Amino acid sequence: MDITESQLNGSNVLALSGRLDGLASPALDQKIDVLVASGARSVVFDCSALNYVSSAGLRSFLTAAKKLKAAGGRCSFAALTPAVHEVFELSGFLTVLAIYPTPAAAANG
Amino acid sequence: MSSPLQLTLANDLAEIPRLAAAVETFCEPFEPSMKDGMALQLALEEIVTNVINHGYSDGQPHAFTVALSGEPGRIRAVITDDAPAYDPLARADVDTSLPLEDRAIGGLGVHLVKKLMDVSHYERRDGKNILTIERRLNDPSR
Repeated sequence: MDITESQLNGSNVLALSGRLDGLASPALDQKIDVLVASGARSVVFDCSALNYVSSAGLRSFLTAAKKLKAAGGRCSFAALTPAVHEVFELSGFLTVLAIYPTPAAAANG
Repeated sequence: MSSPLQLTLANDLAEIPRLAAAVETFCEPFEPSMKDGMALQLALEEIVTNVINHGYSDGQPHAFTVALSGEPGRIRAVITDDAPAYDPLARADVDTSLPLEDRAIGGLGVHLVKKLMDVSHYERRDGKNILTIERRLNDPSR
């Protein structure tokens, strides 16, 4: 998986591409920790090129949401692919996470 | 049609990409939908990751197998390991209706396996854990 970082309307956008599996998730966890420690309070996951997520990736997302919330911030998810949308749905994540059609909508959330 | 394929894996997470590539190559001739392909990839990653992370507690290298077979419209995988007896499917269901704060970080893998597969079955036989999963392909009712 590749993680590309950018800024959009005061949010830190992490564009994820490829597979977020058990091998890739520690790198994402680390990225979130660095962002939160450096003061980021709005993180947007751009999932438009993320075509696979397993429970290890879901754990990373849930941990990120909890950490940001605990820090008084928020995280949101944009542009889910059908495969990732299905996994979110089966896991009940569509109702507990903030999901938007585009990164811009997520940043303005 | 593909003939059955047996993979022997080490108890090391670095095996995941090799597993993913083998599953993709094996499934291709059966023309799975994108959802089918992802469901099989995901179920196998979850089960194999469980075996690698939790199956063996002696810190030693071990080998276990994943056997893939298929017929038109259906793919089956059998994961066999000689770790201590453990039925991952017996784990309590995850409550997916809880709010964010109350969500446990865990148990989702097995939950997804059960949801995404049409068959998931565990048995202990000859000192081995044998987990069988199966998915119908391109099922319009899904």
